[in-house]
Amino acid sequence: MAKVFNWQLGREMECPYEGHRPKRQFCMIMDTNKCIQCQTCTIACKSTWTWGQGQEYMLWNNIETKPFGFYPTGWDVNILDRLGSQAWKGDEYAGQTVFEAAPEGERVLGWLPDSDDWTFPNLGEDEPTGMAGETTYIPDMPHKDMWMFYLQRICNHCTYPACLAACPRQAIFKRDEDGIVLIDQERCRGYQECVQACPYKKSMFNLETRVSEKCIGCYPKVEQGLQSQCTTVCIGRLRLTDFVSTPDTADPHNPADFLVHGRKVALPLYPQLGLEPNVYYIPPVHVPADYTTQLFGPGVEKAIETYLNAKDDPELLGCLMLFGATERIIHRFEVKKGVATAYDRSGAELVSVPLKEPTIVRDGSYPTDIKGEPVTGFRHNT
Amino acid sequence: MGDSMTRGALLGAAGVAAVGAAAGVAIWKSGGDRPDLGDRVVAARVPDPVPGDDPRAGAWGRAEAIRVLLAAQTITQPALDALGIGDVTVRALHDGTSLALRLDWEDPDADDVASLARFQDAVAVQIPAASGAKPPSVAMGGPGQAVHILQWRATWQRDIDSGHRTGVADIFPRVVHDTTPDQLLGDAAVVYYPGRHAGNPLAQLGRTSPVEEAVAEGFGTLASLPQQRAAGRGVHEDGWWRVALSIPMQRAPAGAALVPGSSWPVAFALWLGDRGNRGSRKQFADWVTLEVAA
Repeated sequence: MAKVFNWQLGREMECPYEGHRPKRQFCMIMDTNKCIQCQTCTIACKSTWTWGQGQEYMLWNNIETKPFGFYPTGWDVNILDRLGSQAWKGDEYAGQTVFEAAPEGERVLGWLPDSDDWTFPNLGEDEPTGMAGETTYIPDMPHKDMWMFYLQRICNHCTYPACLAACPRQAIFKRDEDGIVLIDQERCRGYQECVQACPYKKSMFNLETRVSEKCIGCYPKVEQGLQSQCTTVCIGRLRLTDFVSTPDTADPHNPADFLVHGRKVALPLYPQLGLEPNVYYIPPVHVPADYTTQLFGPGVEKAIETYLNAKDDPELLGCLMLFGATERIIHRFEVKKGVATAYDRSGAELVSVPLKEPTIVRDGSYPTDIKGEPVTGFRHNT
Repeated sequence: MGDSMTRGALLGAAGVAAVGAAAGVAIWKSGGDRPDLGDRVVAARVPDPVPGDDPRAGAWGRAEAIRVLLAAQTITQPALDALGIGDVTVRALHDGTSLALRLDWEDPDADDVASLARFQDAVAVQIPAASGAKPPSVAMGGPGQAVHILQWRATWQRDIDSGHRTGVADIFPRVVHDTTPDQLLGDAAVVYYPGRHAGNPLAQLGRTSPVEEAVAEGFGTLASLPQQRAAGRGVHEDGWWRVALSIPMQRAPAGAALVPGSSWPVAFALWLGDRGNRGSRKQFADWVTLEVAA
């Protein structure tokens, strides 16, 4: 196996292929704190890409309630169980990745979900970890006994994709221009090795065409400088489609680089698996850190501290305000005089957003009669 | 990997397989006398057209059967973790125009549906594209050393026998699909079937043969031929698969002609669907000799 550098693990790791970073790397930022699990993203994705027969069960995008929600069932606890207990030493991962833990005769440590595992996309929905007492108001932060949160999931378009590594036909490729990982629909022979290898379980077998498919990062939109479908429909404005750099080449004025490498508020999902995934999550502020650290690595507590300080950090606040403010991919942003402005690659302005909405306070006095008729109460929107 | 290493690995695995085959005698249930293990299969010449799509045809009685040892594929990853069957019974016939083979193996269950974590039974025959003293690597050939491959799949047999391509409505009859692209778009709906739209031969409707004709130059390089000429039929009965398949002896452009009186290396691969076999997770045989009777 080749040696490649995984910056999320802070070390070199073994990988079946030599490392080759694309010219740009597609990424998505998710602010878990803003999601209400309305599944508008899921439906936008489904109606755009997986409407065909044989794709009924496919959710390239899904939202699941953590800790009891999974699609497919048990996708993360299954691979964590197989990997066994592993440890971080500070910011360096001291455990084994799915490549390093591959059994003899395999390229990746994986498992293949059964058809039943694809049957319950809403398993554990809204299910908290404990029972409510007299009230569901919980003043402690993070919550101790009763919590849940929503996890937004698409393909991670990993720097070191396990699906790609596992395909015996090299039918999976990572595009040099944007790092999007695709399954060659002409070349695939439906062995489902990618389904078995992907720890995030975002490769799926089409029952009609008998070849496998996956999230395509909305590449036809990305090629036109547009953010993905799941991003632009999000009513919570919690998503950002962008490109992310490595830490040493990060551009502090690029939104993704700023959030991932600058303020370090957005963290990868299960980085310990070793794929260098490129969807980055702002962790939920109310969830105990031992759980979120397992999901997002050792940077969780610092990320939450920085995030909670956004009201006093105009640059961070401005960057977050640009989520959902434009359909186009933001290349650069700046915050000046209480206004965040986004620019595209050519330097053209895309949108400007005030950090605080202007507030107008109406005169609180009201007439007591209208044309002689007494007004007996406050007027409503009638 | 060098050819000698390949063969060494195979012979080692074949030793293990032989033990399994000996133990297998006790579970022999039907088919008369168990054929001897062999490394030479003779394609007898018959006056009538070969029964290339009829494994039950009486003409197969004119072909001498041999058993060929199978080994677990462990040369490339992913490997087969455990051998599921130790041998396959092989017969061959030709009529001067077409060459036919019959492959029989014991398998209590017919696995003929491809679904989620569900795989099909299959068998393949491999013959070098070019004649020569030294055969290419048995591992599906190598660069510049092409092999000609015929693969029969139980899923394709089911498609043909049932008169329609098995799909989601067969596999999950209670599936709900409000409106399908086909209902609204007609032929234009093909864009919602990406593999089919991309021209993947595995994804197409209207398959007429359960056998795919392909060439390869090493593991992972299998390429379906644009013109498909192989015929075949597999029948599952009495806990056995019996699969007949045939190709024209004039193999161009897939390879040199299989002329009467010539000898060829031939190798086999076998997949058991219920054991999760697919792709390189397979049983395979080392080269044996195929004699095309004069």
